[in-house]
Amino acid sequence: MKINFTLNGKSAEIDADPMAMALDVIRDLDLTGTKEGCGVGVCGACTIMVDGEPVSSCICVVGTLQDREVWTVEGISEKMPDLIEKFIDNEGMQCGICTPGQIMAAAAISSVDITSEEDIKKYMAGNLCRCTGYQTILNAVEDYLAIN
Amino acid sequence: MSERRIDAVAKATGIAKYSADIVLEGMAYAAATRSAYPSAVIESIDTSEAEKLEGVIGVFTAKDLPGGNLYGRRVMDVPILVADRVRWLGDRVAAVVATTREIAEKAAELVQVTYKELPAVTNADDAIAPNPVVIHEAPWDYKGAVAKPEMGPNIQALEIHGSKEKAEQALSKAAHTIEATYYTPGDHQGYIEPQACVVDYKQDGSLRIWATNKSPYRLREQIGLVFGLDPKRIEIMPVVLGGDFGGKGAPGEVPLCTALSILTKRPIKMALRYNEDLLATDGRHASKIKVKLGIDKEGHFVGGTFEALLDGGAYAGFKPVPTVNLHGIVDAAIAYRMPEFYVESKIVYTNNQPKGHMRAPGSPQAAFAFESALDELGKKSGLGPIKIREMNLLDDGEVNAYGDKWLEYRGKQVLALATNQPKEVEVPKGWLYGEGIAIYARSMPAVPKTSLRLTMQEDGKVVVEVPIPENGAGGQTVVREMIRTGLGIESDKIEVRQVSTSSLPTDAGVGGSRVSLGVTVAVANAIKAWKERPAGTNSVEVTTNEESDGPSGAYCAQLARVAVDPETGQLKVLEIISAVDVAEIVNEKAHQMQIDGGAVMGFGFAVMEDLLEDDARVWAQSMGEFKLPNMADLPKLTTVLLRGGKGVGPNNIKSVGELANCGTGAAIANAVTDATGVRIRRLPIKAEAIYSGMREGNN
Repeated sequence: MKINFTLNGKSAEIDADPMAMALDVIRDLDLTGTKEGCGVGVCGACTIMVDGEPVSSCICVVGTLQDREVWTVEGISEKMPDLIEKFIDNEGMQCGICTPGQIMAAAAISSVDITSEEDIKKYMAGNLCRCTGYQTILNAVEDYLAIN
Repeated sequence: MSERRIDAVAKATGIAKYSADIVLEGMAYAAATRSAYPSAVIESIDTSEAEKLEGVIGVFTAKDLPGGNLYGRRVMDVPILVADRVRWLGDRVAAVVATTREIAEKAAELVQVTYKELPAVTNADDAIAPNPVVIHEAPWDYKGAVAKPEMGPNIQALEIHGSKEKAEQALSKAAHTIEATYYTPGDHQGYIEPQACVVDYKQDGSLRIWATNKSPYRLREQIGLVFGLDPKRIEIMPVVLGGDFGGKGAPGEVPLCTALSILTKRPIKMALRYNEDLLATDGRHASKIKVKLGIDKEGHFVGGTFEALLDGGAYAGFKPVPTVNLHGIVDAAIAYRMPEFYVESKIVYTNNQPKGHMRAPGSPQAAFAFESALDELGKKSGLGPIKIREMNLLDDGEVNAYGDKWLEYRGKQVLALATNQPKEVEVPKGWLYGEGIAIYARSMPAVPKTSLRLTMQEDGKVVVEVPIPENGAGGQTVVREMIRTGLGIESDKIEVRQVSTSSLPTDAGVGGSRVSLGVTVAVANAIKAWKERPAGTNSVEVTTNEESDGPSGAYCAQLARVAVDPETGQLKVLEIISAVDVAEIVNEKAHQMQIDGGAVMGFGFAVMEDLLEDDARVWAQSMGEFKLPNMADLPKLTTVLLRGGKGVGPNNIKSVGELANCGTGAAIANAVTDATGVRIRRLPIKAEAIYSGMREGNN
């Protein structure tokens, strides 16, 4: 089935089973920055942005993306260089497998009201990191919010 | 000043390539049919339905294997595909190769296997009970085995230190003793990247492998042994690792995919779903540790016994060390002056998930048991948790319980630092507040084994080729830092490049807190060789395999501040203070993340992580059930560095990667006792256990 949506700012048409997972379809387009982690919508490594909100692409069937605006880390790297820069400057990563997902969640942070550090922690709780202990990721998100 | 890590841009923009991102021309996908029973005999396997599925290239069982069937990191007891008897639920009985991953997975479910169920050993106690079910008839016959017939049935490894008789004799004269048993659960390393590999066998007998594996040189030897191939014809390709924590050291699915690539003449990719990774890889051993400690009137240790029973699961093949044991168990008293110490570390076969290495193998279990018991003894004797530790921590010049004299011992200093930090956390109104302390010390690795090549390009750029996989800890950035300071050139003139096993002679692999030490020695040698190179050469290569200074080690003291709701037993860890013994720091940020990440991992082990193993099953079947700490779960993390230590190697460093995750469990459990009077001897700490302890007056 043909599915039309915008992907990283450009219109895209794909021919896919509408019940296929967005994660697999996106990765098959050679956009491998979106990572497979838990596969059950818990770890956040596969986070993409759909109409401005963070979505776990491992539990999102691609048919639901029809007519919607989809961003992956590859597009966000160009669209939001400030955000990427904050993750780089703070070294908000070690192994890096969760990093694109962390960045995608942070990219969509304006979809919620943030008034405190606690709010950031709750918002980012859907993105697991086993390496860093989260401090550098939190610093990156805080620095980004400070300039936006 | 440290400069930012070399892989930051690639990782932040999503272009860094991990094993699951590798795609080769003509590649097919593999999936495994795993056992339906933890213990059974296979009566028949019918692959016909699976073969009929469109897209299936082949379905294979043990009889099809082109090489040997057994592999392992040291003990070769793990079957690639089981021929006759399954020993746990993760055993592979058949494998499918198909044009897509989904088809392979679907076909794997269509393989029909009939079993005759056998009784299973579902816990370590049953494995060594009189007349147990025997899981391997002759485990001592496996290549690399350390088990011996005289050890009795179901023993993977048995390591003994000291004399039980002498320790008990000493304990009989103690003024105060404590005797208690502590339990920790099976745990998973919790890396976010599930295990994956791509294997490409060529008809000329050469083999290329991309894999979630941190010990490439060992991997090629292990694969060479199984298939009778010259390791030099096996090339392990550089690829980024999405976390490790000890879980990426085993061959994983590489032996199976090598067989499948040989059989189908195609490159084969296999990527585990995380659910399968939880079931079928090799996490941390569940432990039951019986501790007895005794002190004299003043509070000095007179002796102790430490008897650990560890559930090794169905196979011993996931432990690489020569003893097959876990060093952390034997090293339980390394921080202290301990005259007579008896350790027995027994790892047994069961029909549970086989266990391997996870961040400081054996240490989180041992530190939980030892440091909890020490606190209990502190309470019983009236000395309290700080005094009893001060009395027994080693001083410079002394020899530890294992006969080593470290360059220095800074346990007392880190203890003082951890306990003297201001209390700035807020205790919820009406909740009980408590503090708990724990000490962990770790010896430094003695022989850093690695190699590297330094080449000056015509444009003046220095290319440093390294064999070290980047598992996230920052080893390659450490190389860059060392070259920058050693040669006095700017970071942007240095390119660190991980190369395949065919490009450099050797590396010991990532692990054992040895990477920074290894690279500092190798880089120092390379810089020396570079400065002394003959005119006209623009490249030097060095191999390092020399004894470092020492013996030495590092201490970490952790203080946990907790609050407990007296109505429900709910536990809130408010703060973890880590006081860490350091010498020079090569990269401040990477160093700090090893401490923060370690403390959070220790926190997870203490209060939430559990594979929920019962009845020979892993009941935590997804990351929804296997809980890892998230950002909202975090306590306040405070680090206090005790600088100025005597390190080892040319850069005067101490290891840090496995320091902050070991004592946390005991620190939190001790804090719970301080708050409530309830002694928790089983991890993870549950509100239910605290609540019932408070009701029943357990202490």
